[in-house]
Amino acid sequence: MSKPEKSFWEKAQAIDRRVLYAVLIVCTAISLFFKTEIPVNPDDSSKDLYVSLMTIDPNKTVLIESDWTNSTRGESAGHFEALMRILMNRNIKFVLYSIADPQAPQVARDALLRIQEERKAQGLKVYEPWVDYLDLGYFPNAEGHLQAVGNNIRTAWGGRKERDEAGVERDVFTSPVLSGVRVVGDASLLIVCSASATIDIAVERLYGKVPLGFMVTGVMGPNALPYYQARQIVGMGVGLKGVYDVEYMMTYGVNYRVEGTNKPKVSYREESVTIPPVTEGTTFDRGARYFLPLHVALALMILAIILGNVAMFASRKKRVVA
Amino acid sequence: MNETFFWWKLTIGVIATIGLYSVLYRETKLYRFFEHLFLGLAAGFTLVALWKETLKPLWWDKMTGSATIDPITNVSTMDAPGYWVYGFLLPIGLMGYLVFTKRHNWMSRIPIGVILGFWSGQQVQIWWNRWGAQIYSSMQPVWPTTTDSFTRPYSADLPAPEQAYIAAQLYPSQAISNLIFVITILAALSYFFFSFDMKGRLLKGSNTLGRWLLMIGFGAIFGSTVMARFVLEIDRMSYIFVEWMDQTGKMFGGG
Amino acid sequence: MIELIAQAAPEFNPFWGTEPSPEAIWKIFAAIAVGIVFMFLLMRVPTRSRRSIVMTFTFLSGAFYVVYYLWPEPINRGPNDAPSGFVDAGGFFLQDALPKVADIANVLTYLLLCLGIYSLTRIHLGRVVKKQKDWSFSVVLLIAMVAMIAVGYWDYILKEFNDPDKLLTKAENWGGVNYAYDMLFDGLIQQMDAAMFSMIAFFILSAAYRAFRIRSIEATVMMASAILLMVSLMGAVDYQWSEIIKGWTNDQPGNFLNNFNLSEVAGWVKNNLQIPSIRALEFGVGLGALAMGLRIWLGLERGGVSV
Repeated sequence: MSKPEKSFWEKAQAIDRRVLYAVLIVCTAISLFFKTEIPVNPDDSSKDLYVSLMTIDPNKTVLIESDWTNSTRGESAGHFEALMRILMNRNIKFVLYSIADPQAPQVARDALLRIQEERKAQGLKVYEPWVDYLDLGYFPNAEGHLQAVGNNIRTAWGGRKERDEAGVERDVFTSPVLSGVRVVGDASLLIVCSASATIDIAVERLYGKVPLGFMVTGVMGPNALPYYQARQIVGMGVGLKGVYDVEYMMTYGVNYRVEGTNKPKVSYREESVTIPPVTEGTTFDRGARYFLPLHVALALMILAIILGNVAMFASRKKRVVA
Repeated sequence: MNETFFWWKLTIGVIATIGLYSVLYRETKLYRFFEHLFLGLAAGFTLVALWKETLKPLWWDKMTGSATIDPITNVSTMDAPGYWVYGFLLPIGLMGYLVFTKRHNWMSRIPIGVILGFWSGQQVQIWWNRWGAQIYSSMQPVWPTTTDSFTRPYSADLPAPEQAYIAAQLYPSQAISNLIFVITILAALSYFFFSFDMKGRLLKGSNTLGRWLLMIGFGAIFGSTVMARFVLEIDRMSYIFVEWMDQTGKMFGGG
Repeated sequence: MIELIAQAAPEFNPFWGTEPSPEAIWKIFAAIAVGIVFMFLLMRVPTRSRRSIVMTFTFLSGAFYVVYYLWPEPINRGPNDAPSGFVDAGGFFLQDALPKVADIANVLTYLLLCLGIYSLTRIHLGRVVKKQKDWSFSVVLLIAMVAMIAVGYWDYILKEFNDPDKLLTKAENWGGVNYAYDMLFDGLIQQMDAAMFSMIAFFILSAAYRAFRIRSIEATVMMASAILLMVSLMGAVDYQWSEIIKGWTNDQPGNFLNNFNLSEVAGWVKNNLQIPSIRALEFGVGLGALAMGLRIWLGLERGGVSV
């Protein structure tokens, strides 16, 4: 007995998964080759983060908790690279450490090296370890470690050695980066660049002791939103949209009116804040490269959901009629 | 970096990526080869990081202390004292490995118990640290302070005192939004009441509303997760079609 | 244990804290030896006492943090301040002990993390020795692991001990081992890690197409929320829509229609519906963690750490 032939809508409900995979690969790969600048309205949380980064005291050290590995390179690398460019442009000293994964410090070092090479090629200042930044590596017990940092940063990181300019191993608190830091609140900001629940640990242990800012993946974004609403963090960039928002603000500034125009490209709720565009080095990079493919992929996803539903209703209706 | 090495590194990464992607077609030997290669390398790296990232800086250096020797006078100045008693931690940590012995596997619970004890002791305060501000910010005002206008008037072009006055008012549209916020959080919380039976129209209605509103939260989580996953795929496409092809072009096209 | 190692810096107890010197190494070995003796003594503990021993370790560990939170904290303490009484001394002690406790947790956590690697090695070695199904893949895993360990430590030794001028921080000074390490770490682990996670994108697309169907009010609400969020992430759509609104409002910023900008609508839904519902969801989880914490600390959680 031959099977009854499937209708168009029944077929539309049962497209082979491999066809969907191929469409996704082809669409995203092709769209990577189109370089277009997409205008956006940056999220409020991205604006708050960017304004904080651009207005903090350049003489104070920023702490960076780098809790991502290559598994989330698409989003986290964009966040981290933008953060490096902003801090280096403003000549702000920073400390790097990780609590999420033993691979995380190496990944951060590689990303830092990429930005260093880029700046070197652009003739800009190259950051020196010990003098401009410190790389403290990995602390495996995230909860206990951040608790200790909140309690007394000098004893939590005391005894940790790094090589100075002369190659001699010395206690990190003798370096220019940390010499002015007595308590964690002496740092201007702690930025958690994370792909995991270490954002919760940071809020639980350090909220109220040092201003916190998040650069998180899309997966962690919804979890972090309640912290932003409760003002437990100064701002946050979420996923690739967050990366692009920051790159866009680096390019066009905030509340910054170009001569001859009456409205800024990016307006901020506090009228007194005006941040001009970043003029040195790279601004649009990974966020800009991936933003168009993201549009294509999301459109594909929405179409797939609509197709599945329309086909379901159409074939059901046909069955009822029959 | 040596351009030839860089090309080989990218090429091998591309081959490994394609090998793993082969599972999208169906499970192949190629996929299993790269899956095991990945597991082996990642496990090996964890052991490299054992000393390099952890035991050396967090255990050994702190146990031996640190001193700076002046290169001219050769005088040693202590930066941090060494705590030799940290040596005791090694056998305690190694007790975890007794889990594989039949007679002494109970001892593996000692280091685990210490870590869980630390975690549980911290819960008392961190709970308030995390939730205190969130509970406070959930108490939104729901009664408007003015009815001059339904929505907040546009104020950017007004003088500063008027701006400040408008910013200090709660307009009806905001009050309604705040009320929706409060109803949403109460309804969603009511969904998690398991202490008593949900009887009566009010409780049942609140429970059902809570379930619908939770779905809005799940929808947001889904949408945001979709963005994250797609970007990872886009990043791999960029790795193969942009980074690798660029480098290949440089290597073989001279460009 | 905690009492023994709580030391104030820079003042330190000359017995428990030592000046960096070769003699300190002997003290370290003595501590390791005492630990091993302690371990052997524990092996002789009768079965009925085991549960109490584990519970005591757990309770004392938790009690440290509980006491730390409850004890009055020294305010604005300077590095050379001395405690003024019993309460102050307690506060000083707890503050000084906390980083040491964090060190203990760091070291023990990592030693336990490696338990997983030990277990993985045992399973795959067993497969190879017994020539079980697909044992050749286990050989691949073991070779990869050994290669990574060998190259990783060799590279570390070269950079740590043979490179006082930090030349190896720059790739142009690398030798064969440094290249091999970079190939294994950056060329393989990193890329395969990224590839593994990126595959979820394909599965999520296929699953959404097949299963994300409007079959109930809940599913409809969830889908509407998800699609609104996805569209709002598409900056170009958001921007074009705001341009259309601008046309309707003649670019008047105070016009009511501006509230219907996609980013405004998505922002409103995010602030007033998504945030409270996520908060309620996580609040339940938070209460659960608090209850679980108390149960573990007090030894009420059977099947947890108790024997």
